[in-house]
Amino acid sequence: MQLIANLISFAQTPPPVSLPAEPVWQWAGLPFTNSMTLGLAGYGLVVWLFLAVARGVKRGSRGRVVLATQWLFEILLGNIEQVVGSRKLARRLAPLAITLFFFIMINYWLSVLPVVGPVTWGGVPLFRSLAADLNVTFALAIISMVAAQLYAIKTHGFFANGGRYFKNPFKDLIGAFEGILEFIAEFSRLTALSLRLFGNVFAGEVLLGMVGFMSGWLAPLSLPFFMVFELFIGAVQAYVFFMLTVVFVSLGTVSHSRQPHTGKRREFKKTAATG
Amino acid sequence: MNIPPNPQWFAAEAAQRPGLLGALGIDWRLLLLQGAAFLLLVWFLGRFVYPVLIKAIDERQKSLESASAAAAAAEAQAARAEAAADKTLQEARRQAEDIIQTAHHEALAMQEAAEAKAKKRAEFIARQTGEQLEQTVLAARRHLLGEVRQLVAEATEKLVGQKMNSTADRRLIEQALKQSEERR
Repeated sequence: MQLIANLISFAQTPPPVSLPAEPVWQWAGLPFTNSMTLGLAGYGLVVWLFLAVARGVKRGSRGRVVLATQWLFEILLGNIEQVVGSRKLARRLAPLAITLFFFIMINYWLSVLPVVGPVTWGGVPLFRSLAADLNVTFALAIISMVAAQLYAIKTHGFFANGGRYFKNPFKDLIGAFEGILEFIAEFSRLTALSLRLFGNVFAGEVLLGMVGFMSGWLAPLSLPFFMVFELFIGAVQAYVFFMLTVVFVSLGTVSHSRQPHTGKRREFKKTAATG
Repeated sequence: MNIPPNPQWFAAEAAQRPGLLGALGIDWRLLLLQGAAFLLLVWFLGRFVYPVLIKAIDERQKSLESASAAAAAAEAQAARAEAAADKTLQEARRQAEDIIQTAHHEALAMQEAAEAKAKKRAEFIARQTGEQLEQTVLAARRHLLGEVRQLVAEATEKLVGQKMNSTADRRLIEQALKQSEERR
């Protein structure tokens, strides 16, 4: 009954559409946005989930949450090993990539809660998904790309890695042009990574708000379908972000010969860049 | 009910914020704060949680590998045992065939020996029986001859009407025999 009441309340409220996260209050000149309120819950959930799972694994617990998280963790770890092709590198990359997946998925799923939108504080929605804040998605994308660069530098060295982007145009004109494109591609990947996630979460929130608003009293019937759909999209987007991070690290760590690149690897890189 | 914000509303809001990044709500302080918070989460999970999960995965994988190796070893051992059993079975079959052959030969030899022995025994019994028969016949003949003599004596006694003693008896018998021989 409470859920239905929440859904109806959700439906009566016009969808709050604000591109940036809105500040709820300020502390020492630093705004505390509505995405951060739900983000705190997201962080808390991720930490609680993994601590519970770690404790369950230590005890040998066979609970559903423990088994499901462990199963997902193992699949993701296997994916990283398959993509980077090195067990050692996969184990080092796993904390970042797997945390990205769970963090994004849980925060995405929180955006489905009916409290997102109708609950306000001083006329501003109190809750907003953390992933619907460009500060967060840009931060995650920057961390992802910086990690890819760090792994590439560690693998090839600073100058060899820089040689991927900056080549002598008098010796290799096409290569130099290609390097510039590669350099630009790194920024486009970063932008695509952050905007894709932001766009999906933001659009999801707006979609739920609009469906609830348009269906009125029928919202308890119409919203659950879209909510389940959003849960699915959340898992997909988290996996996309996770996989692209792993692929970017993998592309940075593969050996780059001086011979002209042709064939599948070049096509794969282009696909990853635009994916 | 309020009308949802339209594109003009977005434009108006963007105009209040300086630059594209400001219009998108990007605040470098918040961006750094969010990045630091996320890195802290990565560090925390990577330090206290993931090692436990990875260790569990490795242990399970190790146990799976050892179980797989044990299964392979058991399979190989089973194959070896099966081969040994086949070999033993073949050897047993060969030995059984040898035993059967030997038994067959021995049985044939025993049969032949038994037949020979039986034949010998039968011949012996037949011979012995023949001899006993001959002796019985001779004894019967002798007995018969004695009875005949007795009957002849009694008949003669009645015919001649005189008492027959051994001397007269002998004389008459010899006389009768002589006549008989003469008749022949």
